[in-house]
Amino acid sequence: MSTIGGVARAEKAQLPSVAVSMRRRPPLPLQPGQLVLYIVLIGYGLFSLAPFLFAFSSSFKTYAQVLSWPPSLLPNPATLDNYRFILSGAQLFPRYILNSLIYAGAVTVLNVLLASMAGYAFGRMEFPGKNFFYLLTLAVLMIPSQLILIPKFLVAYTLHLTDNYGGLIVPAMVTPTSVFLMTQFLKTLPRELEEAALIDGCSRFRAFWQIIFPLVRPAVTVVALLSFQGAWNEFLWPLIVMSHQENYTLTVGLAFFKGNYVTQYNLVLAGAMISIAPLVIIFFIFQRYFIQGLSTSGLAGR
Amino acid sequence: MQLAASKARPGGPSGTRRSLPFKVNRRKLTETLTAYTFLAPYLFVLIVFTLIAIVTALTLSFFYVDFGFTTPIFYGFRNYLNIWYDLTHDGDFAAGLRNCVEYTIGVVTLQTTLALFLALLLNQKVHGRGFFRTIFYLPSMTSSVAISLIFYWLYQPQGGINYVLSLLHIQGPAWLENPSTALPAIMLLNIWTTAPTFMLMYLAALQDIPSTLYEAARVDGANSWQMLWKITVPLLRPTTFAVVALGSIGAFQMFDQAFVMEGASGTPLRSTLTAAMVIYDTAFQKSLMGLACAQAFVLFIIIFAVTLLQKRYIDANIQY
Repeated sequence: MSTIGGVARAEKAQLPSVAVSMRRRPPLPLQPGQLVLYIVLIGYGLFSLAPFLFAFSSSFKTYAQVLSWPPSLLPNPATLDNYRFILSGAQLFPRYILNSLIYAGAVTVLNVLLASMAGYAFGRMEFPGKNFFYLLTLAVLMIPSQLILIPKFLVAYTLHLTDNYGGLIVPAMVTPTSVFLMTQFLKTLPRELEEAALIDGCSRFRAFWQIIFPLVRPAVTVVALLSFQGAWNEFLWPLIVMSHQENYTLTVGLAFFKGNYVTQYNLVLAGAMISIAPLVIIFFIFQRYFIQGLSTSGLAGR
Repeated sequence: MQLAASKARPGGPSGTRRSLPFKVNRRKLTETLTAYTFLAPYLFVLIVFTLIAIVTALTLSFFYVDFGFTTPIFYGFRNYLNIWYDLTHDGDFAAGLRNCVEYTIGVVTLQTTLALFLALLLNQKVHGRGFFRTIFYLPSMTSSVAISLIFYWLYQPQGGINYVLSLLHIQGPAWLENPSTALPAIMLLNIWTTAPTFMLMYLAALQDIPSTLYEAARVDGANSWQMLWKITVPLLRPTTFAVVALGSIGAFQMFDQAFVMEGASGTPLRSTLTAAMVIYDTAFQKSLMGLACAQAFVLFIIIFAVTLLQKRYIDANIQY
């Protein structure tokens, strides 16, 4: 199973290679074929953006206005009441946001640290069992998460990791995807980097921490972004593992909020915007790395 | 296997035979211990939450496990017989699987085509390629729950989508309340969110195709259409396999969108009930953990078989 195209492809690809596509091209005169091309591209761009923009604008509408027909593009009058209602604390939303931030923040930091350590061992050291565990990592990438969902919950339950942050963070603190990305990147760094230091008697730990870790920034960025995105968006696992309402993450809280305020779309949309906004901001700042990571792993988008 | 490699290592002149093997082994031992220290947190997570979990899932599928404090009761194949009965008597799991198959065929076909189409467009000489790629990718990176809430609103009878249709003088249906449109509505939403991820995979693969192939074809008088079907599509086969396989694995497990938009029971009339929702219901509402594990295992076997078939027919070796 480990020979599935995505993995085999990514083995070959190196993280910085996507930069090639970013090069500037000389200006060209616009031909009819090109005109069609741009019309299609702009059309699909609008198709991608429109639901977000319309939802964003409607999150400032009043209840009466969000139900009006025909729907208006812009809110009139624009009101912040929806956000005020949601963030007032009566709805536990501030708590959901905090929970999601702690969950996603911890998972991000731990993945960067622990996956770069594992990647260092897989990518730059020789030891018995290396191939076995690395192949296992690749195989695990292909296992549907549904298969292990229930036993994973039972294991978490046995370890007292339900209904607390530990239950969210520990199973996700170093994912096979992060380890895979880190290993692939660390393999590409020249072996000479730490060789001299090792011969001089420097320990592996110091070599990792002082020589290699500062050099893995591109991979760190990718792993950090994908880990944050994964945890921030995760729904099923927090739904299962958390039972008290004050422990819900933002996604779970939103799903239940929708159940209680079914037709109050103005409120539901404001909630959705709060969930989307941080990622959109991070995405636009780091979009190049996001896309590099996804092109390399081809897996993380699931 | 590593031991064999170290034995075969050249060097080690006979004069130093006494001290060298010991030294080498000690260094090797330190290196091994260090490596496993680096790996320890990862191996803990991998072994506890994945490997043990897989073994537990298989074992529990032969037990009656009530989530509580009762001891599991050995059940033999009764959980599997139960599933068989469900499948042959149009039970919920049968409905869930049927919907999953329909959903996967629809989603994977359309999203793969769309992903390839978008990648081919962006692989042209385009100004602002990075800009378009970012915009196209936006739906793929946002949370499935938030997106589902937005589309729950857009799909309302008086919602944005029916308004756009009304501009074209089409009377839109009550998308989410009609059993014949509810699942297709979720399909469209999912194609919209997932296709851009696979577009990126295609785009990366397209950039690996050597331009000399196209130059040679052009010299031989091939037109763009022929080059697409004779060069691009065949050379993309490994990527297409990955896109189709990953897409199917994801689609078979659909949960979030249907759960958020249609609720746990997959309304209307079970038309949006998926296998994953049935498993969730069996395990956490009906508290039948053993049966849920058996259902999950059946789902896994189906996904695995589908992946193998796809490997066989899409990723077949091409000969030139």
